[in-house]
Amino acid sequence: MTNNRDIIKFLISLGLFIGLLFILDQILGWSFQNLYFRQKVGQFYQTTYSVERSNQDILVFGSSRAVRHYAPGILSKNLGLSTYNMGRDGQMIPFSAALEELALNRHKPKIIILDINPWELDISPEKFEKLTILLPYYAKHKELLKYIHEISKFEDVKLLSKTYPYNSSIFVLAACTLFPRNQGQDDHGYVPLSGSISQANFNQILSMLQDRYAKIKGKENKMDTLARKYLVQFLDLAKKDQIKTYLIISPTISKDYFKWDNQLKQKSEIESIGKQYANLTYLDYSSDSSFNNHPEKFADQFHLNESGSKEFSQILVQEIKKREGK
Amino acid sequence: MLFNSIEFVIFYIVVTLGYFLIPDKGKWLILLIASCYFYMAFVPVYILILLLIILIDFWVGIQLEKQENPVKKKLLLTISLFANVGILFFFKYFNFFNANLEIVLNKFHLQPWFPYITILLPIGLSFHTFQAMSYTIEVYRGNQKAEKNLGIYSLYVMFYPQLVAGPIERPQNIIHQLHEKHPFNYQLMSMGLKTMLWGFFKKLVIADRLSIYVNAVFNNPKYHNGTSIVIASFFFAIQIYCDFSGYSDIAIGCAKTMGYDLMVNFRRPYFADNIQDFWRRWHISLSTWFRDYIYFPLGGNRVRRGRLVMNVMIIFLISGIWHGANYTYIIWGALHGLFTVGYIFISPYLPKASTNPIIKKLQSLIGIGLTLVVVTFAWIFFRANTVEDAFTLIRNLSSFGAKPFIGDRISNFAHCILAILILFLVEYKLEYLPEKFNLFTAKNRMVRWASISLVIFLIILLGVFNGGQFIYFQF
Repeated sequence: MTNNRDIIKFLISLGLFIGLLFILDQILGWSFQNLYFRQKVGQFYQTTYSVERSNQDILVFGSSRAVRHYAPGILSKNLGLSTYNMGRDGQMIPFSAALEELALNRHKPKIIILDINPWELDISPEKFEKLTILLPYYAKHKELLKYIHEISKFEDVKLLSKTYPYNSSIFVLAACTLFPRNQGQDDHGYVPLSGSISQANFNQILSMLQDRYAKIKGKENKMDTLARKYLVQFLDLAKKDQIKTYLIISPTISKDYFKWDNQLKQKSEIESIGKQYANLTYLDYSSDSSFNNHPEKFADQFHLNESGSKEFSQILVQEIKKREGK
Repeated sequence: MLFNSIEFVIFYIVVTLGYFLIPDKGKWLILLIASCYFYMAFVPVYILILLLIILIDFWVGIQLEKQENPVKKKLLLTISLFANVGILFFFKYFNFFNANLEIVLNKFHLQPWFPYITILLPIGLSFHTFQAMSYTIEVYRGNQKAEKNLGIYSLYVMFYPQLVAGPIERPQNIIHQLHEKHPFNYQLMSMGLKTMLWGFFKKLVIADRLSIYVNAVFNNPKYHNGTSIVIASFFFAIQIYCDFSGYSDIAIGCAKTMGYDLMVNFRRPYFADNIQDFWRRWHISLSTWFRDYIYFPLGGNRVRRGRLVMNVMIIFLISGIWHGANYTYIIWGALHGLFTVGYIFISPYLPKASTNPIIKKLQSLIGIGLTLVVVTFAWIFFRANTVEDAFTLIRNLSSFGAKPFIGDRISNFAHCILAILILFLVEYKLEYLPEKFNLFTAKNRMVRWASISLVIFLIILLGVFNGGQFIYFQF
C-alpha cells in the first residue's frame, strides 16, 4: 500500500529529524551555557554572581530602582559591612523572592534591603514573564521550578530544549563577549545613571502624570495577590533566618508620584505588611523633600542619577547607623 | 486555544494522529469534534451562537435548492443574511451604534435610555459569519449544491484551522473536500508542516517581537517624536502582516497536513507597486469576498465614474467597519478607499512600464516605495487606540531630529531589525527568485533539513513566547 509506505517513510524521516534536532540542541545549548556562565561583565554576569557567589553582609534586592539607587561602596565604607546590589533592571518582587531564596540557601547576610515600588503589587503579567532570566539557572537550581511555573505552566516542558534558556540573549551575550570593555563596569551590582532632567522636561513629566491621573482617578486598582504572596514570602524567609530587613520605597521625583499613578492603595498595603514583622524597618523616601522636585538629582522620571543615588545612599547609611546603634 | 501555545501543539498532534488512525467514514466527525473543542477553549457557551448560525443556514440552503419561486428564494436568502448580519451587529456593533445614536439625539436635547451590552465578542465572529453567508449566497446563485449532511455543513463553518481568523473560504472550494477521502500523503504532510513552521516564525520571531516596540509608542502617542513614530508605524506594518499571514500560514499548513487545500490569503503585499495591487495581495479571502458579494452586485467597474467612486468607497468603508466598531477602522477603510480612487484616476496618466529593464525596475521600486508609504500611513489609524491618538501621532510626525526611542533594551531593537531582515530576504526570494534557493524544498535532504533546523533554532532563540494573541482574533 502506497499509503502505508508513505506513513512508514514519514515516521522514519521524522524520527531521524527529531534525532538531529536533539543533537543540535544539545550542542547549541552547551555552547550557549559556556558562553553565558563565562561572562565577566554585564547583566548576565551580575545575575550569575548574585545567584551563585554573593556572600556579603548586606544584600540589596529590587528592580532597576535598586540597581540605580544603592551604592554598595558608600554603604560598605560607612557601615563597615560588605554590600552587594542584587537588583535587576525590569524585574519585580517575584524575581527578588527567587534570588533571596537561592542566596539564603547558601549564605546568611546580616542585613537585607528590599527596594520596593507600589506598582510591583499591580496586576501585570509581565512581572512573571520576565522571570525567564532565571531559566539558565534552572539546571543547577531545581528549587526555581515554582518561579518558572509562574511564567507559564508549560515552561518546564520548554526546558526540554537546552537552547531555550538562552532565548532572547544572543545580542547581549555577543556584545559582552566581543566588546567587554564597552560594557559599563558595575560597582558590586550598582550601575549608576548619568545625566539629569532639565526643568522643562520635569514640567513635561509632571503634566503627563497629572494628565494620566485625570484619566485614571477613582478607578479601582486591583492588587496582584500573587505578587503580594511573593512579598510576604520574601519577608517571611528573612524573618525565619532572623535577618534585619529594611523595606524601602526609595525617592521619587514628586511627592505625589504614587498618588498620580493611582498606587496609594498598594503603597499602604506594603506599609501594613511591613508592620507585621519585628525584624523589619519600613522606610518611605517617596516624600523626601531632598529629592522631590529636584530634577537635577534624577536621570529619568523613575531613577536617581549618580549624584542623587550617592546622596540617597549617604542618607540611608545615617538611618541604618541610627537603627543599628552604630 | 491559540496556535502559538503548547496546548495547540498537543491538540494538533492528537487530532492529526486520530484523523489518520480512524476509518475514512469517521474522519469528518473527528474533525468536527476537534473543531468544537478548539472553539470552546475560548468561551464555551458561544458555541451556541455558532450552532444557531449553522442551523439557520443549513435549513436555508436546503430550502433554497427546493424552491423555484424567485421571490421566495430571495426571502430565504434574506432570512439567512439577516440572521448572520444580525448576530454580527448585536455582538460587534450594538454598543457602537447606540453610543453614536445617543450623541446625535443629545444634540437635539433628547436623552432616551440606551441599553449597552457588556459581553465579550465571540472570537472570530466576523470570519465564520462571512463564511456562512458565502454558502447561502452561492446556493442561491446556483453555484453550489445545498449540503444535506448537517455534520459536513457544520464542519464547513467550523473547520478548526480557519475557524477564528480565516482564510474565509467559499463552499465550492471546501465542501467537496470534506466529502473526499484524504489518505496520508507524505508530500502534503511535509509541505503542511513546513508552511506551519514558517507561520510560527512570522508570529513568534517577527510579529510578537515588533509588538513590544509598537505598543510602547502607540500606547503613549504624546511622548514620542517623529523618528520613533515612523519606526513604530513601519514596524506595525510588518507586525500586522506577520501576525495575520503567520496565522494564515499555520491554518493553511495545518489543513494541508490532513490533505485539505485552503485558499492563499497573502501574496507578499509589501511588494505591491500600487494600491490596487496591494489589495490583490492582502487578506485575499476577505477582499475577494467583498468583490464577489458586494462590489460586483453594485456594478463593479462597469459603471460611470461617479458610481465607481461610490462603489469603491462603500467597499472600503465596509471593510473598515468589518475590522471593528471604532472610528479608527472606519478612517483606515476610508483612506484606502481614497487611495484606490486616486489611483484609478491617475493611473491612465502614469508612464507605462519601460522596455529598459533598469528603468522598469526603478519604476517598480518607486511604486513599491510609494505604496508602502501610503499603506503604512493608513496603518497609523488602524493601530492607534483612538482617533485622537492617531492625530496626535500624525502631528508629532513632524518633530524629527530628536533621538529615536529605542525601548528599555537595545537588544530588543536589534532583534527587531534582524527579524525584518530575515523576512525581507525570504519574501524577496519568493517574489523575484521563485525557482532559486529553494531551501525548504531543496532536492538535497541535508540542505532541506539544515534550513528547517535553522528556522526552528531561530524560533527558539529569537521567538517571543508570552502567548501574544493574534491581532485578527478580535475581529
